[in-house]
Amino acid sequence: MRRRSRVLAAWLFLAPALAVIALFTVVPFVQGIQLSFQSWDGVSLDTPYVGLDNYRYVLHDTQFWGSMKNAVLYGVVGLVVANAVSMVMALAVHRARRGSAFFRTVYYLPGVFSTVVVGVMFSWFLDPNIGVVNQTLKAVGLDGLQHNWLGDPTTAVIAVAAVFVWYHWGFGFILFLAGRQDVPKELYEASSLDGARGWAQFRYVTWPGMSHVTGIVSVLTLLSGLQIFGTVQVLTNGGPAGHTEVPTLHIYQQAFQYSEYGRAAAMSVIFGLCLIALACLQLWVSRRLGGSTDSRTEKGR
Amino acid sequence: MRRDHTAQTASPAAAPFLSRRGFLGAVGGGLAATTLAACGSGGSSSSGGGSEVVFMNQSRGQAATLKALAKQYTQQTGVKIRIDDVGPTDFLTKLQSSSQSRDMPDMYSVVDGHSMAPYYKAGWAMDLTDQMKGGWGDTFRPATLKTTTFGADNPQHVKPGIYSAHWETPALGIFVNAAMYKAAGLDPDQAPASMSEFIDQLRKIKKSGKGPFWFATSLSNQVIQSYASNYMSDEELNATFVGKNSWKSTGWRKTLQLIADLRDAGVIATGSLPSGTTDNPTVEKAFFNTQGVAAIFDGTSAVGVARATAPDFTDFRSFPLPKADDGTQAPRLVGGAAKGAAVNPRSKKAAEALKFLKWLTAAKQQQVWAKGVPLIPSARAVSDKDVPEQLAGIAAKISDVQLVQNQILEQVNTALQKGTQALILKERTVDQVLGDLDAAQKSA
Repeated sequence: MRRRSRVLAAWLFLAPALAVIALFTVVPFVQGIQLSFQSWDGVSLDTPYVGLDNYRYVLHDTQFWGSMKNAVLYGVVGLVVANAVSMVMALAVHRARRGSAFFRTVYYLPGVFSTVVVGVMFSWFLDPNIGVVNQTLKAVGLDGLQHNWLGDPTTAVIAVAAVFVWYHWGFGFILFLAGRQDVPKELYEASSLDGARGWAQFRYVTWPGMSHVTGIVSVLTLLSGLQIFGTVQVLTNGGPAGHTEVPTLHIYQQAFQYSEYGRAAAMSVIFGLCLIALACLQLWVSRRLGGSTDSRTEKGR
Repeated sequence: MRRDHTAQTASPAAAPFLSRRGFLGAVGGGLAATTLAACGSGGSSSSGGGSEVVFMNQSRGQAATLKALAKQYTQQTGVKIRIDDVGPTDFLTKLQSSSQSRDMPDMYSVVDGHSMAPYYKAGWAMDLTDQMKGGWGDTFRPATLKTTTFGADNPQHVKPGIYSAHWETPALGIFVNAAMYKAAGLDPDQAPASMSEFIDQLRKIKKSGKGPFWFATSLSNQVIQSYASNYMSDEELNATFVGKNSWKSTGWRKTLQLIADLRDAGVIATGSLPSGTTDNPTVEKAFFNTQGVAAIFDGTSAVGVARATAPDFTDFRSFPLPKADDGTQAPRLVGGAAKGAAVNPRSKKAAEALKFLKWLTAAKQQQVWAKGVPLIPSARAVSDKDVPEQLAGIAAKISDVQLVQNQILEQVNTALQKGTQALILKERTVDQVLGDLDAAQKSA
């Protein structure tokens, strides 16, 4: 009887949180899946079921599948470049004897802006006529390097990726810094006695000690890269000629430009499944690479 | 238990009006009641409440004039008008959420036909066809009425009719920097007689070191549609837009060749078109603010932008897109209807809202619109002298606006924008782009 009342009390305490999660996460998720089998223009009260028509459309939509290529590119850039930059910055700030508080703030700063602000800001920087980048190149006598950064397909893809890295490095930086501070000093002292220095210490002490954080940051950055939207929309809107188009932008166009919410929902379901599969793969790889050390650490504690 | 006991032993005189638990319960109850009440209000089919007519306004540039006119209307009639300034970015989102909660305003701004079609289909706009049959309809320019009428063949499947009334007849054309033209030995007051002459002018400007010509990717469909009128009648254009005619026709092939010609002549500033959500503001900034390009393709609303962002720069002219050298038809402007409004027929204030809309679009008020915004009014009766001089070149040809009832589908529009960029980048040929447009039309 006492046990039952304790369980009941526990559920009562959990109930508000569960209700909020159900209302704002579970219900929209289920509705999204349901919508992928319906036809809806965004306004009508009539939402007829169309079976698998939306999925058939998506399977034959070459632009959607073509945009996946860019999503993978931005995901890989996020995973490799953004994480590498974040980790280097975190390790540097950790070692810094002076000004670490200043650099902690400065490095984290980009992440506090909204993506729209970032997009507009960089579209000004990269403007071919009056942009800061071209004007600076001109001022230092490097006129020949002036370029139409967002108008040339090659540099547009690189520019969007660079903006993404700049915007996201603060997130990885702060987690890597926390992870680095969590690695016990004793391990460095012991490795020093064994003659380990520089790279060897990073390879055998720092990297394994931060593997847990690296796994989490990698998954989140990979997903952010794959889901990149605001930056692309404001900077290029998928241009020039679709060279920077990503699935999220295509989904947005289907829903909010073409009023094809059913098709957009079907794309979202397929894209979501792809993200889940990739995230699982990434977690599996992370565990394979650093999981054994991490699990030993956990057991040791 | 212990707390209960303590509470019971406390002196009644010393007890607070509400215990902490009671207070929290009352607050919780209040919040729940408020939430339920808020949810319950969604059952209403119209907003407004009270005695005022609510107008959800999309335009920022016209907001001041609209408010001034609303105030004047209130003074004249006693009917209070509340302008709900949503702004262009949030307008469609707010309108959609209003329709979902069945809390639509009494009247609201209308944007392009494709975006508004779901609202018309769902019965959120009064069919004004019968109203327009009387004197009211005769006050508008034919192009305004034609381009806002949903015909029987409209691809959005809206019930045929007129669902909005407009006070602006926009048109798109070329704007040129007069000083740059003069510096290159050209006469800005003399519109080029043909496209080849215009391209020659742009070549001369390029030699002076300035960017010759630019337009936003998002306006490429208007450039194309304008130029297409050199080769096709309005009926033929409309037939393509509703999917009856193919995009692979000779007329469209010749039309798209314009982009290749501009590219090959090297007169497109920076060698590419700006894209992104701020592509047209980027073009306008380069023309009005930094004066880095000599000529742009833009809408007549650009003059309002210039007044707001570069009030000192007034030395520019406008003219329609020059005619094709091998054109078979007299070229006609793209335009017809821009800012206007629809009335919510489910509103209790529908009759008052309709009266206000009629008043807003009357010739006397359109003079106020023309001077205040500024814009080219939709009323026939408004004199051309109210049109700003920078728009004179386009306004002179406003009677030659295309009478095409349907618009290019959004899916085709996206393909056209990509295709235009791909043509400039030499990634696709004219025939390949036309094939893409046909495919987009069929899959839409």
